[in-house]
Amino acid sequence: MLAYDPSTNPLNNNDWAFPLLEILHIAGFAFSIGTIAIVDLRLMGVGLRKQSSAQLLKDTMPWTLVGLAVMLMTGPMIFSSDPNMYLHNQSFRFKMGALLIAILYNYTIHSKVAKSNPTGALGVVVGGVSVLLWVSVVFAGLFIAFV
Amino acid sequence: MLLSFAQFIQSTAFFTALRGSGYVYPVILSLHMVIIALFGGMILMTDMRLLGLAMRSYPVSDVVNQFRTPKRIGFVLMITLGILMACCKAEEYYYNDWFRLKMALLVVVGLHALIFRRRVYSRAADLDHLSPLPAGAKLAAVISLVLWISIACAGRGIGYIEPPLDKIHAGLLYLH
Repeated sequence: MLAYDPSTNPLNNNDWAFPLLEILHIAGFAFSIGTIAIVDLRLMGVGLRKQSSAQLLKDTMPWTLVGLAVMLMTGPMIFSSDPNMYLHNQSFRFKMGALLIAILYNYTIHSKVAKSNPTGALGVVVGGVSVLLWVSVVFAGLFIAFV
Repeated sequence: MLLSFAQFIQSTAFFTALRGSGYVYPVILSLHMVIIALFGGMILMTDMRLLGLAMRSYPVSDVVNQFRTPKRIGFVLMITLGILMACCKAEEYYYNDWFRLKMALLVVVGLHALIFRRRVYSRAADLDHLSPLPAGAKLAAVISLVLWISIACAGRGIGYIEPPLDKIHAGLLYLH
């Protein structure tokens, strides 16, 4: 068993610490998934159509990274508030799997295809898969509290 | 009057069914979050473009005008999902201070649109050749960012309060 007592965690001893972290986590995903979605929608022919997907990818990338960094810092802190609960939570496990695939996909297939300025079906499929992956991450995150 | 309306709306067969079915509420809530993820980025990027912090290689009008329709679609979806959730637990939300704050902030967002739409967003093309951007445009962007972030915070806050409806109903507690 983990030699760690969550009741000593400041997150569990301060009324504002946990909600504040959650807000930062949400702001993190608004930035990261929000900017990825801008590229996805462009790949599917929606939104900033005057710009190319390669251009959008390049210009949103720093903000995607900022958002991801915030998410990946706040996420483990939230996890630390109750590790045993999270480790046994099916929705959390699913989320970690989906998150890993989504991040790998984003920095491999997704960015490669976006850089090639695809037209038609390829863009729709690659953008659509990206949206679905991130949507499943958000869903699984929410459902941690409900399963 | 508002309270009896809240009690009435949540007692309708439709919202009683929604409240009773275990997974419908979390699914609606998840979709509400998905809209933040998919469309929230457009608000952030529009405001950051006006502030000169992101997408600086595109004209302001490209960002403002091309995001307009998708942002409106996102807004309508968001409001629809929000209304569904609020009506499920209308009486509880009536007493929820974070919910009240969120509604007040949404009214302020409406005022923001009334004040800045004609001056900034509808004439984005006029801003393309101005550098630096006028203070009014930056002010609009800052206020928009602060408002939407506050709305997200207030929204998250709603889940942290559970007004003691049983005590209120039993007449042990009087809130208004």
